[in-house]
Amino acid sequence: MRIRPVYAVLERELLRLVRQRTRLVAAMVRPLIWLLVIGGGFAAALGPDYKSFLVPGVLGMTMLFGAMLAALGTVYDKESGVMRMMLVAPLPRAWMVLAKLIAAAAAAAAQAVLLLVLLALLGYVGPAIGWGLLALALAATSFACAGLGMLTASFSRTLENFAGIMNFVIFPVFFLSGSLYPLRELPGALYWAAALNPYSYGVDLLKHALLPGAAGADFSAALDLGVLAGATILSALVASWRFSRESAYEPMIHAVAGRAR
Amino acid sequence: MNAPRAAGIDTSAAVRATGLTKRYGELAAVDGLDLEIAPGEFFGLLGPNGSGKTTTLHMLATLIRPSAGSAAVAGFDVARAPVEVRGAIGLVFQESALDRTLTVAQNLRFAGLLHDLAPGVIEERSRELLELFDLTERRDQPVASLSGGMRRALDIVRGVLHQPRCLLLDEPTIGLDLPNRRRIWRFIERLRARTGATVLLTTHYLEEADGCDRVVFIRKGRLVESGAPRELVARLGRHILEVEGADLEALVAALETRLGPALREGDVAHFRCAGDVSPLASLQTEIGARASAWRVRRPNLNDVFLWVAAGKALA
Repeated sequence: MRIRPVYAVLERELLRLVRQRTRLVAAMVRPLIWLLVIGGGFAAALGPDYKSFLVPGVLGMTMLFGAMLAALGTVYDKESGVMRMMLVAPLPRAWMVLAKLIAAAAAAAAQAVLLLVLLALLGYVGPAIGWGLLALALAATSFACAGLGMLTASFSRTLENFAGIMNFVIFPVFFLSGSLYPLRELPGALYWAAALNPYSYGVDLLKHALLPGAAGADFSAALDLGVLAGATILSALVASWRFSRESAYEPMIHAVAGRAR
Repeated sequence: MNAPRAAGIDTSAAVRATGLTKRYGELAAVDGLDLEIAPGEFFGLLGPNGSGKTTTLHMLATLIRPSAGSAAVAGFDVARAPVEVRGAIGLVFQESALDRTLTVAQNLRFAGLLHDLAPGVIEERSRELLELFDLTERRDQPVASLSGGMRRALDIVRGVLHQPRCLLLDEPTIGLDLPNRRRIWRFIERLRARTGATVLLTTHYLEEADGCDRVVFIRKGRLVESGAPRELVARLGRHILEVEGADLEALVAALETRLGPALREGDVAHFRCAGDVSPLASLQTEIGARASAWRVRRPNLNDVFLWVAAGKALA
């Protein structure tokens, strides 16, 4: 298969990330607010360990938001001319989806690494962590979030859905994940909703890597990896199928075909 | 790109469509279209709004799938080998296909990489093409800062960067002022001279289609006329008579018995005259007095368009 087109999409994504400073700053500030303000508040009530419990959650949050925003850029691409450029390129549609998926995952992972550096400087991440497992967790979680993003993008026609996506995808996925509380404490229905949420397994894997003795983890690391890989593959397949349909490009092709009637 | 080599693949035509059809529910946007375009030909697809030009182009470019019939571009079937077709064509949309936030050079790099070109090759061809299209100075400016004419020129550069054998242009000059339209045509001329690529275009500006080797007129998704522009104009007639008058109905009725059916365009009636001007002169003395305006002129491609759009046969 051809690598250059994938590289093209990846390069453009990272270029956009570097240039959109506010997006990058927001990606750093958002998790730090959760950690320092909300974490600080609850730590006062629940005990000082709560802040370190929150570290995997905010790291996951950076990947969730980063990957979602990058993947949802596909919807913006549909409305701008960029998707047209990709549509006329000699690539199977599935390859285009895969390229976007890889680019979104890379953007998410880059932001997570940046945050990790900040967290280390602030003393929330020490050297005594599972580095190998952490790298694996960053990669697997980034890809799973990017898959979720591509899946969402493949079902959204316009950017106007963005507020809806925020409320009905990003927030539920984040809150029902074990980022803020151990899953085992959740009552039945909420527990099962969280257990069905693939992102929970990303946060869980981060706990395995970052928290001493995997305190607060709910599943085994192997299960986490398996679910994340499975979710990534499944969402990539569905998104590829969605983007292979002609009607996926309605905003651009049907507008023109409509005029041609 | 792989040359079409497998047995049964036809390389004699750059574009060949047979019974090409696209239906949207009840409506047939393109209805049993047959086309054959020779390699290197400069071919115009003409017709009124909604006649199916863009839909045809998009089917040839594999962006939408035909409901029936088949088409091959550069020897590749659009339904069975869409990726190969896209590798062999360059498509310039009516709307811009550029990232407005990236610079000119970054856009070309992105487009080139998508076509699997090596960065060095992209660099070199970009330099040549930007020179050819007078965009060298804009190389490092964001696309958003370019004028409409420059952006369209860049869109064409983007479409030919991978050296397609067949270039599809959908209304390449739409929305541009006259000097910019002329510039775009000069660019297309230079490009054709240099690469010998087949060019298939749609346009509303009929005077621009005069330079085509061959044009077809389509109406309601069907091919109604085809030929060299000069030949089509000749088939329309040697002269066009335009008449205006207070009682236009009566005038038209009187003239239609002598000249055949009229084409009404607002307060003006057009008639086609196959023969000499002398019968027209005698007609003018006979009936012309009742007309407020009586003009005899040579027909052009615009007239062909009007007659075809009105659903009248040429000859």
